[in-house]
Amino acid sequence: MAATSPNAIALNGLGKKFRLTHDRNWTLKATVLAGHRVRYEEFWALRGLDLEIPHGSTFGIIGGNGSGKSTLLKVLAGILRPDEGTAKVDGRLSALLELGAGFHPELTGRENVYLNGAILGFTARDIRRRFDDIVGFAELDRFIDEPVRNYSSGMYVRLGFSVAIHVEPEILLVDEVLAVGDHSFQKRCLDRFAQLKSEGRTIVLVSHDLDMVGWLCEQTAWIQQGTLQAVGPSPEVIDRFLDGGTADSPPASETHRRFGGLGPDDLVRSVDLVDTNGHPMDRVGSGRPVRFRVRYDAGRADEPVTVALGLYRADGTHVASINSGAASRAVDNGDGLVDVEYEISALAVQPGTYELSVALHDHSMRKVMERHTHLVRFDVEPTAGDHQNGLVALGGTWSARSAGL
Amino acid sequence: MPLSRLPRSRRDLHALLQVDLLVNLTLRDLRSKYKRSALGWSWSVLNPLVAVVVYSAVFSVFLRIEPSVGDPSGLDSYAVFLLVTLLPWQFHVTSLTEATRAITANAPLVTKIYFPRWVLPTSSVLARFLTLLVEMAVLLVLIAVLQGHITFQWIPVLLALMLLQLLFTIGLALMISAVNVYFRDVQHFLGVALAPWMFLTPILYPLNMVPADKEFLGIGYRTLYQLNPMVSWAKAYRNVLYDLRFPSLERWLAIVAATGIVLAIGFRVFNRLEPRMAEEV
Repeated sequence: MAATSPNAIALNGLGKKFRLTHDRNWTLKATVLAGHRVRYEEFWALRGLDLEIPHGSTFGIIGGNGSGKSTLLKVLAGILRPDEGTAKVDGRLSALLELGAGFHPELTGRENVYLNGAILGFTARDIRRRFDDIVGFAELDRFIDEPVRNYSSGMYVRLGFSVAIHVEPEILLVDEVLAVGDHSFQKRCLDRFAQLKSEGRTIVLVSHDLDMVGWLCEQTAWIQQGTLQAVGPSPEVIDRFLDGGTADSPPASETHRRFGGLGPDDLVRSVDLVDTNGHPMDRVGSGRPVRFRVRYDAGRADEPVTVALGLYRADGTHVASINSGAASRAVDNGDGLVDVEYEISALAVQPGTYELSVALHDHSMRKVMERHTHLVRFDVEPTAGDHQNGLVALGGTWSARSAGL
Repeated sequence: MPLSRLPRSRRDLHALLQVDLLVNLTLRDLRSKYKRSALGWSWSVLNPLVAVVVYSAVFSVFLRIEPSVGDPSGLDSYAVFLLVTLLPWQFHVTSLTEATRAITANAPLVTKIYFPRWVLPTSSVLARFLTLLVEMAVLLVLIAVLQGHITFQWIPVLLALMLLQLLFTIGLALMISAVNVYFRDVQHFLGVALAPWMFLTPILYPLNMVPADKEFLGIGYRTLYQLNPMVSWAKAYRNVLYDLRFPSLERWLAIVAATGIVLAIGFRVFNRLEPRMAEEV
């Protein structure tokens, strides 16, 4: 079938509703007794959506949590059927909704590549031809014949991404998957996107990372509560989203400059620097103690949260990433606001301007609930008597004594 | 199905039948089944072996059920008499049990990737079918030893019978796996229904032990009994492998009709329920 439409994706009055049954496990008996009418509420996750995404464009979709972005991607991917209107997709489509979703833990990486490829619509011959590329891109040559249950979550996700990206889709749907993997892998993913873009393929990216959407996508649509708020050139739409999305959040102080900003729908409520007594600070001395405090709404999180922090220099150099791992599990049962603190006895970085990124994951670190890049900016000040250069404040002490003749 | 959608070439047919996906999912099933167990594939041999020993002891020795003598083969062995129907029956049971959960157990896949969902129950039946093929091959060797010669001429008939049973089981599997997404009662119901179903199928005893002269509400016991489609298969398998006789024409007609009806209903039910599966699973 030749491309007959100028649009890769055309939505016309698209609506998708979900049934919210009070008891999810409704049984045959209940249906029979209720006379074929099980009681449920209807909830429109998407309503009246008109959108055209031209062939060869790179298109961003932004919006707060629960705005319907992921539902839209699932409708486009064919996983969910629209209840109203139409969604026309013109071209071979591949969706990166969850990497490695089809992997079986007991099978080897090699077996899973063929399995996952087949699920994505590859023939065995297609995969044989691209197998080396797939494994090479994922950097798993040595482990490809190991069962994937022995893989780290990073390896798992790299392999999943690599298979999906080698399907050579005409339309690629990406849902927030770039938040995984280390820095160099993320960079190669972006390179690969740029390559697909230059080959004239259509990319639809759903992300909370406004920087990335702004950088990668020419056009962006902002969705709020299932309806289209704005669509147009990315910078304009992102600006409108930031104006609308952060209106209710507390004003940002001078030193805590917000880039992406926190919206009222976000789980993360605040990220602060505090001293050892818990008093907020806006600057910290090199080599001095500091705590990073992340406050989030555990009540609205679907599942227990692991907090990850990224420390960057203002020039973008990645200094360190940490996650709360087991420590955050102790307070999971709370359903209000939770403060997670990371205490550093001596902040071992050289003076300069630094930024903190924050992400909330599930415990397996496979799923990103929320990600705020460069959310907080702060200064690290020189400490008296310190004379050094470079990246790290080594924190050592000098001494000198005679070594004899 | 409109004519325009009928496959026009081998490649179209290949794509329509999802050959690559079916092969991969079937292999996944077979490869992962006995991973991390010490005995591995021996389990698949142990299962029918234990069943034959126990059933032979109870039904042949304790209850003294006489197997019918194979006509014209002259075979007179309860173990063989039992095995020729027990192996297809165990395929029936394991296929349905595993296929019921084929979609619900793959919920992460179903909610994240689109692919034709019918391949999930179908591949789980196919995996069990490959096991049945191996078991039947072993059984053929056993019969050849007892008979003193190999009965090659019956192999095509046996394969035709097995193929029809495969299609019949796929039809049932499609139906129950789809309904199970909406009503988990199905998997429990199946657990309850399979045991009586076995006893109402001539596996442990010959069909002629079902009284032909007694009636229930004016309908003969034997007639009522034969409403169970598995009776036709049991009888046909026993004809081919034990009696070494071509099953009667009406037997074949019953089998083909049952297969066609169940397969058609299975696909209809499945297509009807498929659109909302990702939400309900």
